[in-house]
Amino acid sequence: MSSHPATPAPRIDTLSPAETPEGIVLSLRPAGLVSRTMAFLLDLFIRLILDLVLVMSLGAFGGLGGLGFGLMLIGMFLIEWLYPIAFELGRSGATPGKQAVGLRVVMDTGLPVTPAASVTRNLLRVADFLPLAYAFGIVTMLLNRDCKRLGDLAAGTLVVYAQPVVLHDAPPDAPPLAPARPLSQGEQAAIRSWAGRAKRLTPERFEELAKLAAPALPAEVPGEKPRGASERLLGVAQWLMGKRT
Amino acid sequence: MRVDGLAIVLRPRSQGEACDLGLALVRSQAASIWRCFTLLLLVVAVLAMCTVELGGIVPILILFWLKPWLDRSLLFVMSRAVFGEATRWSDLWRARRQVFGGQFLRTLLWRRFSPWRAYTQPVEQLEGQRGAARRKRVKLMLNDNRGAATALQVTFAHAEAVLGYALIALVWWFAPENRNAGVWDWFFHPDAHAAGQLGLDIATASAYALVVLFLEPFYVAAGFAMYLNRRVVLEAWDIEQEFRRAFT
Repeated sequence: MSSHPATPAPRIDTLSPAETPEGIVLSLRPAGLVSRTMAFLLDLFIRLILDLVLVMSLGAFGGLGGLGFGLMLIGMFLIEWLYPIAFELGRSGATPGKQAVGLRVVMDTGLPVTPAASVTRNLLRVADFLPLAYAFGIVTMLLNRDCKRLGDLAAGTLVVYAQPVVLHDAPPDAPPLAPARPLSQGEQAAIRSWAGRAKRLTPERFEELAKLAAPALPAEVPGEKPRGASERLLGVAQWLMGKRT
Repeated sequence: MRVDGLAIVLRPRSQGEACDLGLALVRSQAASIWRCFTLLLLVVAVLAMCTVELGGIVPILILFWLKPWLDRSLLFVMSRAVFGEATRWSDLWRARRQVFGGQFLRTLLWRRFSPWRAYTQPVEQLEGQRGAARRKRVKLMLNDNRGAATALQVTFAHAEAVLGYALIALVWWFAPENRNAGVWDWFFHPDAHAAGQLGLDIATASAYALVVLFLEPFYVAAGFAMYLNRRVVLEAWDIEQEFRRAFT
């Protein structure tokens, strides 16, 4: 389609790096507009049901006269404002909606969210839903590279995906083979994840990919029955994982 | 497709995370995206506004209906953006037959109602599949991914509605203190005001055009990134990318 850019610019990714006090860099995976909207809509639905239950139960206690109406308003206020805080400070660090979508709220540093931060980010929802129904929230989530809304920016929190996506299984068994040259860590990781995809790819595609790794492939031993690129690369993968016999 | 030339990092992602990659792509190539899209949308919007006399809602309806066709130019820009290439209006013009012309009826008739058009658009436009081959390919792309593709559509439909209302509401919010009652009255009884019905129709249509201008690139990019992510799952493009970078 086009030529390779002359100076390789950093490639675009969605990760957000966070360095721990021990000097380890964690890669957090911030969640963007689509996942968070889905979580929000689920939470909205749950809050509406809670409100409905509240109204009906107060209605059962002798109508919605002055006191009942007041209690209803207080109850709705509490549901609207305390619902996210209570759940975010719980064990899962996420409201039921976020949990269903596989998200959780953490600090920028990857640590669990603190009470102060949770209160801040949820109080600032007011700023996000100006002028109507989260308009500023949507715009900032689209434009901020960590997909933060204003509340997240103020509180220093991040909404992240809780679980990584894993596409590889246990690699198929093969007699180990030493690679033709020493491999860097990245190359080793690539070969291992290739081996783990064996069950998910067609044999043709699996072989095609193995041929790309030709420089790492050990030469065929003369006299032995010839083995395909994928068979030999599977051997290298086993060797890299520590199998030696 | 030269997978090693991609300006994005491929790795196993959920489809929701893939959408975020699309958003990051738009942010990194914002200049070339809006350089091409603004002019195109401006022409279409001005032509659509000319129909305002037929009925206040007609310009909005025309813009809404033409979105799948507008998306074709955006996907063309995105397909270059994933290689880190900027697009100029002249590049778009050179590819005009392929971008503006192809699959015209399909795009404007039944594709208009597809709940996952952004996700399957690359199959039609970039792979150039036709007939039975395309149906088979789209079915493979949608396997286990219907929910995610619908979520994309639901999200952006909501975002569009919210931002549309918000722009109109901003007029009221930013009106001087003693005038905002008048703005409110203008929304509901336009004929009693100097700007009148025509002014209100033009204002709402412009608000909608602005929302489309802002949101549509994100929508197309998110769908495109989901498409790439699906190919990571089906064809291990992430591994091909790593292998090509390491060994060739």
